[in-house]
Amino acid sequence: MSAYNMVIGLEIHAEMLTNSKVFCTCNAEFGGDENTRVCPRCSGLPGTLPVFNQGAARLAVKAGFALDCEINNYSAFDRKNYFYPDLPKAYQITQFSYPICTNGFVDIGNKKIRINRIHIEEDAGKLVHDDYEGVSNADYNRCGVPLIEIVTEPDIRSAEEARALVEQIAIRLKYAGVCDSRMEQGSLRCDVNISVMRPEDTEFGTRTEIKNLNSLKSIVRAIEYEYERQTGLLDRGGKVVQQTLHFNENHGTTKPLRSKEEAHDYRYFPEPDIPPVFLTDEVIADIKSEMPEMPNDRKTRYVEQYGLSEVDAALLVSDKDLSDFYDESVKVYPAYKQISNMIIVELLRRLNDSSTPIKDLKFSPESLAQLVKLSDEKTVSKNAAKDILFIMFEQGGNPVEIAKENGFIMTTDSSAVESAADEILVANQKAVDEYKQGSAKVFGFLMGQMCKKLGKSANPQIIREVLTDKLNKL
Amino acid sequence: MNEPCKCSVKELSQQLKDKKISVRELTEVFLKRIKSEADKTNSFLTVCDQLAFKQAEAAQKIIDSGNGSVLTGIPFGIKDNICTQNVKTTCASKMLEDFIPPYNATVVERLLKNNIVILGKNNMDEFAMGGSSQTSYFGGVKNPYNLSCVTGGSSGGSAAAVAAGLCPVSLGSDTGGSVRQPASFCGVTGLKPTYGAVSRYGLIAFASSLDQIGPIARSAEDCGIVLSAIAGKDANDSTSQHVSDVDYCSKLGNSLKGLTIGLPKEFFDDGVDNDVKTAVLDAAKRYEEMGCTIKQVSLPSLKFAVASYYLISSAEAASNLSRYDGIKFGYRSTNGETYEEIIQNTRVEAFGDEVKRRIMLGNYALSSGYYDAYYNKAVKIKARIKDEYNQIFKTCDCILTPTAPTVAYKIGQQENDPVKMYTSDICTVTVNIAGLPAISTTCGYDKSGMPIGMSIVGRAFDEATIISVADAFEKNFERKGAEI
Repeated sequence: MSAYNMVIGLEIHAEMLTNSKVFCTCNAEFGGDENTRVCPRCSGLPGTLPVFNQGAARLAVKAGFALDCEINNYSAFDRKNYFYPDLPKAYQITQFSYPICTNGFVDIGNKKIRINRIHIEEDAGKLVHDDYEGVSNADYNRCGVPLIEIVTEPDIRSAEEARALVEQIAIRLKYAGVCDSRMEQGSLRCDVNISVMRPEDTEFGTRTEIKNLNSLKSIVRAIEYEYERQTGLLDRGGKVVQQTLHFNENHGTTKPLRSKEEAHDYRYFPEPDIPPVFLTDEVIADIKSEMPEMPNDRKTRYVEQYGLSEVDAALLVSDKDLSDFYDESVKVYPAYKQISNMIIVELLRRLNDSSTPIKDLKFSPESLAQLVKLSDEKTVSKNAAKDILFIMFEQGGNPVEIAKENGFIMTTDSSAVESAADEILVANQKAVDEYKQGSAKVFGFLMGQMCKKLGKSANPQIIREVLTDKLNKL
Repeated sequence: MNEPCKCSVKELSQQLKDKKISVRELTEVFLKRIKSEADKTNSFLTVCDQLAFKQAEAAQKIIDSGNGSVLTGIPFGIKDNICTQNVKTTCASKMLEDFIPPYNATVVERLLKNNIVILGKNNMDEFAMGGSSQTSYFGGVKNPYNLSCVTGGSSGGSAAAVAAGLCPVSLGSDTGGSVRQPASFCGVTGLKPTYGAVSRYGLIAFASSLDQIGPIARSAEDCGIVLSAIAGKDANDSTSQHVSDVDYCSKLGNSLKGLTIGLPKEFFDDGVDNDVKTAVLDAAKRYEEMGCTIKQVSLPSLKFAVASYYLISSAEAASNLSRYDGIKFGYRSTNGETYEEIIQNTRVEAFGDEVKRRIMLGNYALSSGYYDAYYNKAVKIKARIKDEYNQIFKTCDCILTPTAPTVAYKIGQQENDPVKMYTSDICTVTVNIAGLPAISTTCGYDKSGMPIGMSIVGRAFDEATIISVADAFEKNFERKGAEI
């Protein structure tokens, strides 16, 4: 009995790529030894005041453009009050009443998902529980790292759509330079609001909220589990209770948070320490002019201007670093298709096999372009090009030098080929006879013998010509 | 040469410049007085002998090189909610009994650039909440004019110290009258600057949208001198404003002829003692004699002011004081296992009653379901009061009111009656709500010799005018010395 539709809305938290934190000058990067990236301000010492990092506003506006939002000239901060040891001031500075962006949408292929709002807020620290010692330690490095919270409308109807949306938002934020979108490091996190309803119902069912999902896989699993749980409950005549849930990765189940943890009255009120953010139309236009090309525009460019297939173009843009690598390569040598093939067929395989991120490649896009050029100009054979790529992948280096060092440069001197052909033909009289009797198959055998003798530097084109010539003269 | 403990900042500055006294000698005079007299008023919580002598030495060098400013070598008291690097800053609370800030407040930083000498930290109401300076965890402050009377608050330690000649000037803070009212009760001059004129960085927050740091001194001119040194935009406080190089003493000595002074009738109703009313109205007459026009004006929303003030300030305080949870700094309860228990017990054990009262009031006002009825309405009244002041300033250059409805009362007389205490802030809170500058100076004494204060309220960022208006009165008024 699964005659229920699911209704899902997401809240996505993305850490913005500012150098410093949102209300102080501490390093905002991920990591660092515990409590080494803190100052009196972000640890909430008495007397300190927050000073808003305007860079965070610019990035939030870029997020707005990336998700087709309206950018608001006026936005303002509020305090969200609650006690928790990872929150030093016991309030989070956020934008409650006046968010910086509103009314956007994201196209996930089959439909558009509406974005309700994007607002700026500060991240909290982290509690590290040491079960062995029976203590909890607070690490405030993450305190004050600038976040945007993206709130969607309840337009999502399946786990697959939710996954597609998060994927799409993640990649757009990355293209816009707003967030590195590394879910595994927590720089992009997702809360899922989910309810179920009968197709004939006109009102949404009671929803639950699953907090802090940090992988696409967990999002899908949590939604699927929660859908089954809610529909099962209803089918048995039960009722869904509005509550906040935690998804257990190991068991694949959801569990309510302790009621104390959710029984919050946040007592929002306007943050008196930070003046509202005014963005003039000029400033907004200026930020817009800094917007980099978004993935869809890039894909269109690849298909329409570079002549790549839809599939290849989509594959390239799905990873910004890969696509950037491609763009850099074709800048040096505009053989769009050949370079795309080399990346998709050869490079991607090696990257995937070794789980290497493209940022860690030992060679530059220029080198890849050079390699493709060597192959195109027949300075090296196609097979040699693959071998060179392998060497570059393993050790780095310049393709021309590698080709030279390993004798991959194809010789154009036919005298060596001719004397080799003479020797081969004498040594393989039987094959020659068969050829004479009309067996085309045996030509391949003779070609192989030639290549073996001449090594990789031999140009197959020349070998073929010389061999055919000699055979015909016999 | 006058005794240093009776001199103004300006006079002391001249004596230092003329080498009639060295900075070290001056520092010694005050430290000695603090040692022998401060306990009588309980006006100092920390005395920084060693630091003071070090600063005195540095200041002397500057003076000797001829490069000093008017504040170089001047001994200061600092209210104990203003952060001083490596010097305990307690907010007169058990919660911060051992808190030593790793930074200076911007105002302290700016004064130290002028090579002042910090004598110590002044007692106050706990977290600046109170109008009597009796809520201090370290015991109440006593009025130098009558040791059985309160000093007013919350900057009571600052006002008492200046009045008792323990320091020529002290920095206080004013959220709803906390500089002006104790200045009035202790017969000295206190200035609350325009909101945003002085950086709040390093002032331990009570109500962020209302708090301002201001000087308490022996004269309006001294207040102007100090304000000139501490005012101006600070990158560490986004609510601070550009007031590029203003000399707040620039209007001193100007004739007041042609100036219009408003008397808002609501400040002179039955709630105000007759002695106070008479003294302030007499002062108005003096101004009239100096060529000012006295104009009857009205601030109809005054009746909502106290309620509005206590809702807004308590709401902000509840949030500002949430950080005292025993997790990162300050007092931590040893009772409790879970973090909830530690936070709860820490706050139960280390906050005083008045602080708890404000936290409860503030959280109530912000709670869902009550927000619109309380906090939101208070904010609307704030806008209305601002409008009404703007109306008055269309025709008046400044406004004259009593600083408090009464003179200093006996210790224990009304501090335990919160409603009575809150109501007595009626004369001062509107200035904070509207963000305006105001200065309180002594305008008379009641039958028992207790000082009466009047307040001159000015347009935003027009401190120069109110300082000159107060100064003109002070020049023609004989102040009586305090008992000790």
